[in-house]
Formats: sequence, structure tokens, C-alpha cells
Amino acid sequence: MNDQEKKYHERFMREAIKMAELALASDETPVGCVFVKDGEIIGRGMNDTNRSLNGTRHAEFIALAQILAEHPITVLKKTDLYVTVEPCVMCASALRQYGIRAVYFGCWNERFGGTGGVLTVHEDPGVDKPYPVVGGIFREEAIMMLRKFYVQENEKGEHNHLSLAPEPRQKKTRELKTDILPLDLDTLKT
Amino acid sequence: MNTPQPGQHLVSSDPVKPQELTVVPQRGHLVALKTKDELRAALETIDVYVIEVPATYAGAILNIVKNAIPDLKTVNLQHLRRVVQLEFLPEHLQKKFSSSTQAWGRLSTTGDAIGEQNEGGKRPIELRYLLIAPTSLISSAELRECLMQNHPFLNSEISPHVHTIPVPALAPTSAEQAAKWTQEYWSISYKNTNPYGPHPSLLARAAADIESHAGTWLALARTAGEETKAQDLGEEIGCVIIEKTGNEKKILAVAGDARWCSMDGTPVPHKQGPGNVMAHAVMRAIGMVGRKRLRVADTNPGPESDSGGLNVASVNVYCDTPLTPIESDFFTDNIAPGGYLCVDLDIYVTHEPCVMCSMAILHSRFKRCVFGSRMPLTGGLTAEMPKSQEDGQENSVDAVSGLGYGIFWRPSELNWKFLAWEWESESEEGGALSVDLSIQA
Ligand SMILES: [Zn+2]
Ligand SMILES: [Zn+2]
Repeated sequence: MNDQEKKYHERFMREAIKMAELALASDETPVGCVFVKDGEIIGRGMNDTNRSLNGTRHAEFIALAQILAEHPITVLKKTDLYVTVEPCVMCASALRQYGIRAVYFGCWNERFGGTGGVLTVHEDPGVDKPYPVVGGIFREEAIMMLRKFYVQENEKGEHNHLSLAPEPRQKKTRELKTDILPLDLDTLKT
Repeated sequence: MNTPQPGQHLVSSDPVKPQELTVVPQRGHLVALKTKDELRAALETIDVYVIEVPATYAGAILNIVKNAIPDLKTVNLQHLRRVVQLEFLPEHLQKKFSSSTQAWGRLSTTGDAIGEQNEGGKRPIELRYLLIAPTSLISSAELRECLMQNHPFLNSEISPHVHTIPVPALAPTSAEQAAKWTQEYWSISYKNTNPYGPHPSLLARAAADIESHAGTWLALARTAGEETKAQDLGEEIGCVIIEKTGNEKKILAVAGDARWCSMDGTPVPHKQGPGNVMAHAVMRAIGMVGRKRLRVADTNPGPESDSGGLNVASVNVYCDTPLTPIESDFFTDNIAPGGYLCVDLDIYVTHEPCVMCSMAILHSRFKRCVFGSRMPLTGGLTAEMPKSQEDGQENSVDAVSGLGYGIFWRPSELNWKFLAWEWESESEEGGALSVDLSIQA
């Protein structure tokens, strides 16, 4: 990757990070993404699993829904994804089925990753065309946000514990948030 | 065709009594899927040494070997019987061993225990076959050396004849597998456990719990697929989500595939490419459960447009609201507040879900999954390996094996696991709907 290419990718990864920051501010796991066609952002997404009570509403799906509301599905063949955390197995498969052109991501997802972290859904034998992936763009920033989220959630946990009567729903919500979070603190340090 | 007319399958009484549904239950039974590790274990063999000795020496020799090979206690041979009679060995080993049996009768001249037992030279000496150790732990020369220094080989004309044979490296995961291996390799003992998948008794209890109604739910899933297909909105693939508590059953979601549903709710004019992947039956059904949970939630989490000020599409691209009569019938508020994703729920799908849908089931924390037909080119649940991978060819798949994902049970890699079965149909015409094998269900 030459300097110019690097600048190009970093520009969009910065936009993806902005989406992750939004997620963090709304108590969602800080994962954000943008889809880019011909140098233009055509869709933005952030994790939305907690608000929707739906464990499949990952950042990629939110952005895809936005794109498909306005564009034909074939647009994705000329579109690249920039996402702060490696796509999970589910999203990696969805992206391949839709025919995404390429995927650029920040940090690896060692619990659910579908493009190298755990499985390699993007290039395994299959009926759909494989796609290339590039990982590690602003990796530290992506990890830092996940770390902030952990701290934020832990503080809330203590607060709930001290001030509120046991409330199963609260606890479960917390469980969900940290669970979707793909990385353990230990791996974050590496 | 058992598609009821719109409105006729109205059974949203709660809990639902399956006999009130107008669908005709499919006849068949559940077959548990093999996990990725189970299949791996089934393929792995190691080479071991086997020797023939008179029965009276068997215990002593195993003791000698144990002391001579300290590493022996680090390998798990518990599934392999160490002392076996000829008649309990596989046929090919019986032939091999009896053709090379040694002249144990001559031992009688040395005046040891064997000789006494064999007084008169008439009574045949009882022989045993000993599984000594994996070949990786000791060379056959060293082993022979060691044996020569002990009875019955010490000061004898008979030198040990060391055979090398392959045996399964890991314990069997079912009684059937143990029996099969005993015929193919060596005498195997089976303990009722499965280190590579769900415990057999847990699996059996779960299957008994759901088997009586699985055919009904699959028939309902089929109807859902037939209805969206009939409206030209999707492929003939359907899905049903059930909450089963004790004997009480609730149908929480029914959804057909809607990949060909355009953004204005009408069929797309040209069915090319993948269609709307997010509108696969499984994704739609999971979305419906989420919507129900939001509806009955005690706190309003706010509309989608509040989530980070996103530009939220005005159309429902996820297609997770009802499109057909049967989907509407079950889109009621029959869900208890406070539930979490799809924890403790079961999902029934006409076809093996694609990798995306398989992982969506895992993300949603389902308890159990049953599907109708395998999808060897696209399915994410079965663990059977692609042939091409075994042949070393890349990026090609074939219709006889599978993709090898086994997503339902990979606990060391993915942080949730669930039980999964395929449905073996017993009806004449077969329970399966006809979809193209290259389709992602
Ligand atoms: Zn994902
Ligand atoms: Zn699918």
C-alpha cells in the first residue's frame, strides 16, 4: 500500500471510527462502519443490538439497510466496507452473498471474526465470489474504544449493584453489551 | 399441498395446541448433527504395537511396558482394550495374527508355568493380543529388547513378534461408533460420554422433548415458505420459532423467505443475484422476535431514528414484519416481557441455514435448531468437510459433503453453542421443498 492509498483508506476508517464513537455514546458496543462507492460514503452504521433487542443488528446490517433502501443490490459489487472491528462470521457471509468488493477493518475479532479472526468465510470454498480483506487500519484506535466501553460498562455495573434492587433485565442488558464485544481485555493489550 | 387458504390457519390462541393447526405434521425423526470435533476425532488414527502372548503373561507384560515407557501414562488409551482374545478382533487382524502365531507349545519344555498348564501337550495354550503402546513412544527394536529380558521370552527360543496396526486416536462418541471401530480397527470400549459434542444423555433428553412436535413445526415452516413463494416474494424456504416450557408450546414467529421482496413490498421484476440477503427466513423470524420484545418491553428504548442520529431508512429493508397471512397470525404479543434475545427458544427451518443465518442463530442464543434438508453447498450447521478441501483443491464445492463449518458446536472458538438436528423424513414423497442446491437458505 503506497502513501496515497494509505491516506485514502485512513480517511474512511476515520469516518467509521466516528460511527463507533456514536455507538459508545449510545451504550452500544463501539463498532462503526461506512460503505464507500467511487470515493463517496453511501451508508453508515453502528452497532444497534441493545436498542433493537436483536442480536443480529450489527453495524454492517444497519448500513446495508440504509443503502438498499436507496440503491439496487448490485451497487455493492462496486462498494468497499470500512469497519472498525473485523466483520463477524454472520456479517462476513452476508457481505460475500451481497458481492461486496473489498473489506478494510481496524482490529481483529478473536471471538466471532469471519475474515481471519476465527473463520475465513470471505475466501473459503463456496458458491459466492470471495473478496479481499485488509486488517489493521487504525487498529489501536478501534481497540481503545472497546476498552473505554469495558470501563464504562463496569462502572455502570457497580453503580447498579450499589444503588438498585436486583433487576434481572438490567443485568441481562449488560451481559449482552459486553458479550457482543468481541475481544477480551487480555487480547486488547497485545 | 397442505397450504391452507389465508385465514384458515388462524390459531393464535396462546399457548398453541398443535392439533389445532391445519398443517399436516411431517412424519420423520431427528438425527443429531455431528460436531466438527467429532468428525475430526473419527478420522484420526495412531499406530500402536501389538504382540501375542500366552494369557497368563498378559498382566505382567503390561506392567513391564508401563515401567519401561514412562510417557505411556500421558497418552489416553482408555477407549482401547489392552488385552484382547483373537475372536474379538476384526477379521483382518484375526487372519493376520493366526497366520503368524508363534510356537508357544515349545515353552512347555522350559518347565515354566505354561509348560505345567499344558501338560500332556494336548490342551491348547490360551493366547492374548496385547496393545502395547503408540509407536511414537518407543522404537520396535527397543521394545523387542525390553520384552526379551522378561518372561515368557527370557531364555526362550521364541522372540517377540511385534505387529504395528492403526487404531482410533480418540474415544468414540457413540455406541454405534465404538461397534464400528471394533470391526474395523481394534476392540473399543465406549463410556457414555462425548468429549467432542453434547453429552449423549443430554442430547437424547432434548430430542425426546421436541421430537413429537418437530414434524408439526417443520410443516408450519414449510407453509410459511410456500406462502411467500406463492406471492413471488421469496424462495420456498420457511422458519418457525418456538418457545417450549415444559409441555407448553408457543409459536413466537413464522416467516418465509423474502429475498425477492422489493422495497415497496412487491416482487422484484428480475430474480437475479442473491436478492435481499437480510430477508432470509431465519433473519426475518429473529427480527420478528426482537420486534415483539420491543413491543412488550416495560421501557421504550426509543425509535430507530434516535440511535445515534442515523439516517434510518423509511422502508423496512429487513422485512421483519409479516408479509403473508400465516406470518400475521403469529405476530401477536404472545411473548413474556423481560426475555433476552432468543435464549431458551427453538428454531425450525425447512433447509439448513446458510453461514450468515447459522451465525445469526448463534448470536441470538437459541437453545435448539432443527432443519429439514441439508444444503451441502451453502449450509453453515453441518460439519462434514468439503471434498475439495480433502483433495487439496481450493474454492470449489461439491454436492456430496458440506462446507465443514459446524457452527452449532465450536465452543473453543465461538462463545455460544446449541443443539442441532436434521430431520429424516419418513413420508413417501419426502418432506423437502425443492430449491436449487446452490441457494443460500
Ligand atoms: Zn457482524
Ligand atoms: Zn440464510
